[in-house]
Amino acid sequence: MASGTEVLTTPLVAVHKSLKAKMVPFGGWLMPVSYTTVLQEHKAVREACGIFDVSHMGEVMVTGANAAAFLQHLTINDIEKLKDGSGQYSAMLHEHGGMIDDLIVYRLKADKYLLCVNASNTAKDFAWIDKQARKFSEVQVADESNLWSQLAVQGPASAKAVEALIGATDLAQFRSLQYMDIMNLKLFGKAALLARTGYTGEHGYEIYLPNEVAEKTWAALLETQPVTGIQPIGLGARDTLRLEACYLLYGNDMNDEVSPLEAGIGWATRLTKADFIGRAALVQQKEAGPKRSQFAFVMVEDGIPRSGMDLYRNGEKIGVVTSGSVLPTVGGAGGMALIARGKANLNDEVEVDIRGKRKLARLVQKPLYKAKVKG
Amino acid sequence: MEFPVGLKYTKDHEWIELSSGVAKVGVTAFAIDQLGDIVHVDLPKVGDSFEAGAAFGTIESTKTVSDLYMPVAGKVVEVNKAATDNPESLQSDPYKNGWLVKLEVKGTPTAGSLLDASAYEAFVADGSH
Repeated sequence: MASGTEVLTTPLVAVHKSLKAKMVPFGGWLMPVSYTTVLQEHKAVREACGIFDVSHMGEVMVTGANAAAFLQHLTINDIEKLKDGSGQYSAMLHEHGGMIDDLIVYRLKADKYLLCVNASNTAKDFAWIDKQARKFSEVQVADESNLWSQLAVQGPASAKAVEALIGATDLAQFRSLQYMDIMNLKLFGKAALLARTGYTGEHGYEIYLPNEVAEKTWAALLETQPVTGIQPIGLGARDTLRLEACYLLYGNDMNDEVSPLEAGIGWATRLTKADFIGRAALVQQKEAGPKRSQFAFVMVEDGIPRSGMDLYRNGEKIGVVTSGSVLPTVGGAGGMALIARGKANLNDEVEVDIRGKRKLARLVQKPLYKAKVKG
Repeated sequence: MEFPVGLKYTKDHEWIELSSGVAKVGVTAFAIDQLGDIVHVDLPKVGDSFEAGAAFGTIESTKTVSDLYMPVAGKVVEVNKAATDNPESLQSDPYKNGWLVKLEVKGTPTAGSLLDASAYEAFVADGSH
């Protein structure tokens, strides 16, 4: 759990340093930004396979007879849709509708749920979850972030790489695992969890595992390199991969003041379900129309958009770039932007203020890169 | 990492090749290595004049943008279109074909604030830059 100014490290920090990774502080953690180069690593994930240390992510366990009712109140998606061993993308809101965090909720059992939250938000999230849980009886919440490491294995060859970890008795279940499903497995004798999800737009997995087997599991996955082409990937390529797939990044594309309707995740927001925190504000927003909405864009003129740059149309400031970068697989550069309502439409040309120079861009259909997660 | 002896260097990681009146300016192999993939280079127009130490353009990697600073005062007489068209080429060749601008040097350049190759190498090895 991130606290104070102390920089945290994952159980794999020595491995990253031995691989000569460039290390940077991220969300209170010292994390690898790249091992080779961002572009090389990006390509490797799209074409073969990458392994990411994402142990900085937070894990919160929610248990008890009223766990489902509590999560139905806490989060925007519909918990009733979950079966044992399945997960859903969701978010927690303030009463005013702004996002506290986005997260994945996994139902492990009817009375046991795993919440995967953003590293930099773990302390804030847990304080909020704990406070809300006090209104319910028979709900226990536990911040287990210190107990779990997390590895993401992503790319077309990821199934082959992860299969090397799967025991004979689990193989059938592994092979039938659907997108957003989660299963139990044993790694070097320790109980772990394997989810079919990710943050790259490729077929992939996220493994929740006890810290003490992180290094061995990392090594076992990398041993599949001759067959899978697997290589370590840093946070730099993680960001360009997720941006092409138009997956949101908390702190960039959304924050405490941006609602899920504005951020473009209305699809995960179940206004039809019974009350949840922030619902009243969202219903109001929906009736009035959200003040702004999120668009994807690509640059028409030369230049690389970055988070925080202003967006103009016909000389008028209409919004702001929330994430921007080169787009290694799509080609060129582009990103995502929050634009005031009624100020622009899909396919419109807009201008990005790149350090004082207005450069043409075009609003395009999301995503920039069509995810292959379900294939 | 290579730091050719014929060049002078700045603590901002530019190099300059001074010869009779016209100088070539680029960025060092160390800077390129620190930046990672170079994805965009923005350079001034021919005819633009700069004081020594003035920002004359930007070099951009996948993650960051850095300003480029003039090692000496002068007027731009040529920009390297190959570098702006193929910024990734700087990664393999930051010195020969990787020059960014040619300058008509204003006055007599004072080499005092510039480092020679061994001084620059010691500077970057020191790690406090």
